[in-house]
Amino acid sequence: MIAFEHVGKRYGGRFEALAHLNFRVARGEMVFLTGHSGAGKSSLLRLVMRLEKPSRGRVVVAGHDIAQLHASQVPFYRRQIGVVFQDHQLLFDRSIFHNVSLPLEIQGVEPREAARRVRAALDKVGLLHREKALPIELSGGEQQRVGIARAVVNKPALLLADEPTGNLDPQLSADIMALFEDFNRIGTTVMIASHDLALIARLRHRILRLSDGRLVADEGAA
Amino acid sequence: MKSSATPRRQQGAALKTPRKAAAKPPADKPSQRGARSQQTRFSSRLRAWGRHHRSMAWDSFQRLVRYPLGNLLTMLAIAIALVLPAALWLTLDSARLLDAELDESATLTVYLELSTDDAQAQRIEEAVNAEQSVLETQLISAEQGMAEFQESLGLDNALAGLESNPLPISIVVHPSSIEPAAMQQLAATLEAFSGVDEVRLDLAWVERLRNLAELGRRVALALGALFGLGVLLVVGNTIRLSVESRRREIEVVMLIGATHAFVRRPFLYSGAWYGIGGGLLALGLLGVGNHWLSLPVAALAASYGASFSLPQLDVTGSTILLSCSTLLGWLGAWLAVTRHLSSIRPK
Repeated sequence: MIAFEHVGKRYGGRFEALAHLNFRVARGEMVFLTGHSGAGKSSLLRLVMRLEKPSRGRVVVAGHDIAQLHASQVPFYRRQIGVVFQDHQLLFDRSIFHNVSLPLEIQGVEPREAARRVRAALDKVGLLHREKALPIELSGGEQQRVGIARAVVNKPALLLADEPTGNLDPQLSADIMALFEDFNRIGTTVMIASHDLALIARLRHRILRLSDGRLVADEGAA
Repeated sequence: MKSSATPRRQQGAALKTPRKAAAKPPADKPSQRGARSQQTRFSSRLRAWGRHHRSMAWDSFQRLVRYPLGNLLTMLAIAIALVLPAALWLTLDSARLLDAELDESATLTVYLELSTDDAQAQRIEEAVNAEQSVLETQLISAEQGMAEFQESLGLDNALAGLESNPLPISIVVHPSSIEPAAMQQLAATLEAFSGVDEVRLDLAWVERLRNLAELGRRVALALGALFGLGVLLVVGNTIRLSVESRRREIEVVMLIGATHAFVRRPFLYSGAWYGIGGGLLALGLLGVGNHWLSLPVAALAASYGASFSLPQLDVTGSTILLSCSTLLGWLGAWLAVTRHLSSIRPK
């Protein structure tokens, strides 16, 4: 699903965010990405999302060399990837329902079908009863779950999450991780960047450990 | 490079099952079904596209109504920018009508030598009439000329004391072309005829009026272009602000796969709404201005013994004005959004 081949990323010609990255993530795998802050977790995810191109090497996601994607193809590429952000990136001027339906709206899904899928996604994250609420009325954990619902509403083959439990207490974090495991169980490839080592050690999935932009450990590969 | 060559729609499918799709043999039935499903997919995409257009048109209209005062001021600025060139154009239009009337009266007068008698005059008239660029001629005898002269001077008997008629026989020539150059050439030709004393061609003021009209037209065009640019700037600036205020939203939708066209759409509709509103206001202002000026203009015209009414925009003119303002609003929004989209990169 994801292949990094000798990938390097420099910013501003000097700072080397990533170097000599080589790894593969198989379809249907669940992978954690860890490392101290500044180790390159976010840079790696940004490459997969095609927010940036690698300075060196190749990043291939689902058969697409992301550096070869034309700018006009990038939106269509991104629609295949669900992303959960640490700060949720919800729109505060519209209801939970409309936040979750946004990807479907962008893809032009017929409204009745979209409503059905939005409710299914909200039901999955346990927030169906809050569909009319505004994001501001929700707690941090609930907002994060809305973000997850939005990421999975169009059933992406790949789900990325950048510190999804960053601001949550241990119980909520465990709940969120359990949600990701559910999605992984139905075949979605999941990649989660997190520095919550205690939590991810308990979950027994593959762990990619980054340090100073290099892959220093690849543990528990399936 | 291969991936960029495949159509987008197929790419989406390929992302999920790339190998299967590639390995599938091109059997007859599935390909037919594929064509049909692609057709329905295309029509459903078209429906989705239309749906988004409708919802964005409505959404941007509601945003407009939500802040009525500010948006009304924007539209008023657009309207004022449109009224000035439109009013000038209307004025020129009426001048053009006047010009057309003048064209009909554009003639040359050929004065014959005093010694010419009526028979000679007739022959000369025939010769003049034979000229290719002459449409029609009219012989005016010395007596007729005298009568007209007296009438126009309002002196019935002042000239009666003259022993002999001092006026020559003249021929009024209607040329086929009223172009100044052509008329001048015709005058020169006629002047060379024997028995012709002088050819008078009172073109100067016709020409002056024409030059004035041409000048006015150019001024109107230049003003139109300038004020059109002004409308672009007004709309562009307003849209720039609204893009800025919705920056976060734009970043988010781009993160989850919105195309530039999708992001641009609501702003283009806002721009078009501004244009339509501004155009309607401009039409209103023109109507009010017309009403306000019509009384003094009518009085002024009456004092010259003429009936003249201010020109009004007809249906065609109003449609043109509205379409122009809508187009300008749309274009201003397009420029503003496109310029700013390139600066917005999702984080």
